[in-house]
Amino acid sequence: MSAVEYLDLLLKALLLAGVYAAMAVGMTVVYGVMKIVNLAHAGFLMLGAYFAFELFNRFHIDPVLGAVLALPVFFLFGMLVHWVLVRWLPKSDTPTLASLLLMFGFWLVLQNLAYAKWGNDDQSIFTPLTLSAVHIGDTISIPKVNLVVFAAAVFCMVVLQIVFHRSWFGRSMRALIQNPYGAQIVGVDDQRTSRLTFGLGTAFAGFAGALLGMLYSFSPDFGRPFLLRSFVIIVLGGLESVSGVALGAIVLAVLETFSTVVPFPWYWHGWKMYHLPPSYQPVVPFALLVLVLVIMPKGLASLFNRKWKTA
Amino acid sequence: MKILEVEKLSKYFGGVAALKDVSFDIPEKLICGFIGPNGAGKTTLFSVITGAHSPSAGKVHLHGKDITGMDAASLVKKGVARTHQVVRPFKAMTVLENVQLAVHYGRHAVTRTHIAKDHAMETLKLVGLDRKANMMASAISLGEQKRLEVARALATAPELLLLDEICGGLTGSETHAMMELLHRIREGGTTIMYVEHDMKAIMAVCDRITVLNFGQKLAEGKPEDIQNDQSVIEAYLGKSDFGGKKRA
Amino acid sequence: MEDRMKAPRNLSGWLRVILPWALLASLLLLPAVDSNANLMRLLFLTAVYSTAGLGWNLLGGMAGQVSFGFAVFFGMGAYTTALLMHAGHSPYFGFIGGAAIAMLASFFIGLPTFRLRGPYFVIATIGVTEAVRVIMNNLDITGGASGYRISEDKPFNPLEHYYTAIIAVALAVLVSTIIANNKFGLALRAIKQDQDAAAAVGVNPYTSKLWIHAIAAGLTGIAGGIYARRAGFFYPGDVFAFQTGINILLIPVIGGIGTIWGPVLGGVIFIIVEETISAKYQDFHLLIYGSLLMLIVLVEPGGLIQSKRLWIMLGKLLIGLFTGTTWKALFGMLRGRRFAKAQHIEE
Repeated sequence: MSAVEYLDLLLKALLLAGVYAAMAVGMTVVYGVMKIVNLAHAGFLMLGAYFAFELFNRFHIDPVLGAVLALPVFFLFGMLVHWVLVRWLPKSDTPTLASLLLMFGFWLVLQNLAYAKWGNDDQSIFTPLTLSAVHIGDTISIPKVNLVVFAAAVFCMVVLQIVFHRSWFGRSMRALIQNPYGAQIVGVDDQRTSRLTFGLGTAFAGFAGALLGMLYSFSPDFGRPFLLRSFVIIVLGGLESVSGVALGAIVLAVLETFSTVVPFPWYWHGWKMYHLPPSYQPVVPFALLVLVLVIMPKGLASLFNRKWKTA
Repeated sequence: MKILEVEKLSKYFGGVAALKDVSFDIPEKLICGFIGPNGAGKTTLFSVITGAHSPSAGKVHLHGKDITGMDAASLVKKGVARTHQVVRPFKAMTVLENVQLAVHYGRHAVTRTHIAKDHAMETLKLVGLDRKANMMASAISLGEQKRLEVARALATAPELLLLDEICGGLTGSETHAMMELLHRIREGGTTIMYVEHDMKAIMAVCDRITVLNFGQKLAEGKPEDIQNDQSVIEAYLGKSDFGGKKRA
Repeated sequence: MEDRMKAPRNLSGWLRVILPWALLASLLLLPAVDSNANLMRLLFLTAVYSTAGLGWNLLGGMAGQVSFGFAVFFGMGAYTTALLMHAGHSPYFGFIGGAAIAMLASFFIGLPTFRLRGPYFVIATIGVTEAVRVIMNNLDITGGASGYRISEDKPFNPLEHYYTAIIAVALAVLVSTIIANNKFGLALRAIKQDQDAAAAVGVNPYTSKLWIHAIAAGLTGIAGGIYARRAGFFYPGDVFAFQTGINILLIPVIGGIGTIWGPVLGGVIFIIVEETISAKYQDFHLLIYGSLLMLIVLVEPGGLIQSKRLWIMLGKLLIGLFTGTTWKALFGMLRGRRFAKAQHIEE
């Protein structure tokens, strides 16, 4: 492969990273603030895609606009879900089995509801953007869809970063992430912040889902591979910053994209260079997850933090 | 006879030295106390010895064999057991089961359940919890939970017992009972290393005291000598009534 | 999700001992009394899934390590049995082989994943299922994605399958009981509550988890083999499916996580639900399971078997049926209920 082809792949990977980041950030805040592994995140992603799909098909609303519209709608939806289901969960500073199973059950319900309404067939959102591409030189060709999606994702991440670091709400979230009990003692309203956080996480899930729906075809089972990816990103990037998520997303996207292309040495009756067959690609996030967790349990962020940790 | 040799143990967290070149020996069958102002490194010392953290430098030898950095479970099999400052009983198990587990997995790995239960009951008698044997560990008071913690560590049949601030939160009479218990344990042949803030308790019960400050060994000797040691007094900035402790 | 790995405490001593044997005896004698083929099929499926559920329960309920990836062992049991039978061995050798392979796989899976704590472990197990499914889909030796067919020379003997399954579930119950009452079981309960404290008393959490994982995988593997043999045909999308792993998890959770008879009850409920919805509400599988799961978590985290509410309700319903006051009884009970508020974890 030539250098230019590598560049093309790299660009595609970076664009993908943008979407991955938007997708992971929703799960990150919920996990960080409430210590809940939100498996229903996959369901919200899926619903986001269908949301944009419906808006596009019925009202001819551009899916990017649909994604933006998803933000407030899913925000309210998330708060509703929290009020009905999540707030009953026992509180803990480590994730509990109960929260895991509850969210998982809810995900199953969401899948079934989607199936009841839209059936099991794959759907897609086709806009004029989908088929046109930006060309740089002879080899690099980037579908416009990816660019638009990337831009939207980045914009949202920037907004989140601002909220996270410069608003009262953001500060409450960060306090709860770092020390739940301490935060409550100084007056952070745990219930309210949790509800808002869950809404925020769901909003981002819907948003990212709508964007993902523009890139991939989807069915009620849409969310599952992204669930694992989101978690890998959380593990890679740590819980305390949006930039951590971005970093994790980049690492994952690059590794995934290049895994089938870059040969790697492996021993099988002698050292040889192998290519990973494309059908094995889904294994990459999982392998990465296990690798990172075994070697660096606190994620990449811990590498940076170690210098400043005190007794 | 030295049971434990600690050689130039150091532990850095980031740029901060929690322990710096700490060396001492623990003779057999003594109660050795460790005192020092807050942040002196006493609990870190225990954590490093019992493998919760690995040292940045230095070695720990048990009966001459290197045990530096060994994990807690292996150390138990070698006869080193530890209690924690914040008690961690198994809340969904009874008091008896808590101790029974330690008997099963301690140094004399007992397999038969009823034998283990008998051993556990004996240990509970020693700490005075035998009447509460069938209560849930979550249902007993803090003082009793501390005694349970000691019982659990004892039940692993250790040669060397590390006790970390077991008097924290106890009333005067509970403390007194605890000190009696320590004497009984020593009589049983176990060596004890004891970290404590409660001066009355530690001066009363220890055969030898080591003082730590800022991660370094400040002084070592008999309780009377330590009480009169100038550098120790300065470190605490209190007089010899041992009622209050302040940072130097 | 509490720790209740002993026989139900609310049954008096001798009942606790007699009932399981009575149950086993009645199951073994059933075909002599009533050889309804459909009933036997249902009981077969119940037994198979209960066995897998009991296996999962050892790791997830007793040791507290929730794995979403037990489909791997079910599938490996299936494929190993199939391959061994294809090579000419007896099916029973196949079952044992299936268990062995599953146990081996559990070591490989456990070695990296048991270093992880809590949710990290759970997510890793989700990934494992996916990874194995992808690999199995790509392997030609096992027929790839199109599946594998077991062919036996002997005619289909439902009785034999039935008895095999009953023996298997009895074995699983036996294993669970032995472990629950001995030192290993105590250590696992300790690991579930506080892994580091367990280490402080000499338990090696890592190796203990590996061992119980192996036993759990073995039981699940046997279940998979027995299932495959009767089914005659299966494919990765079936035995290695994420959904299968979920079913294996759901059964103990709904029935009673951490108890011995919970998974058995869960298996019964599972098959009843499966049969009912297969008939009428084909498309609402996930809705029903999801709702059940949520209900259990919020209302009855210990599972249905230890739900005093449930048994009282059933009792009242039965009485009501006989005396004609069923509806009143139902409403009365439903009114008095609330969702469980935050159960504070003791400090």
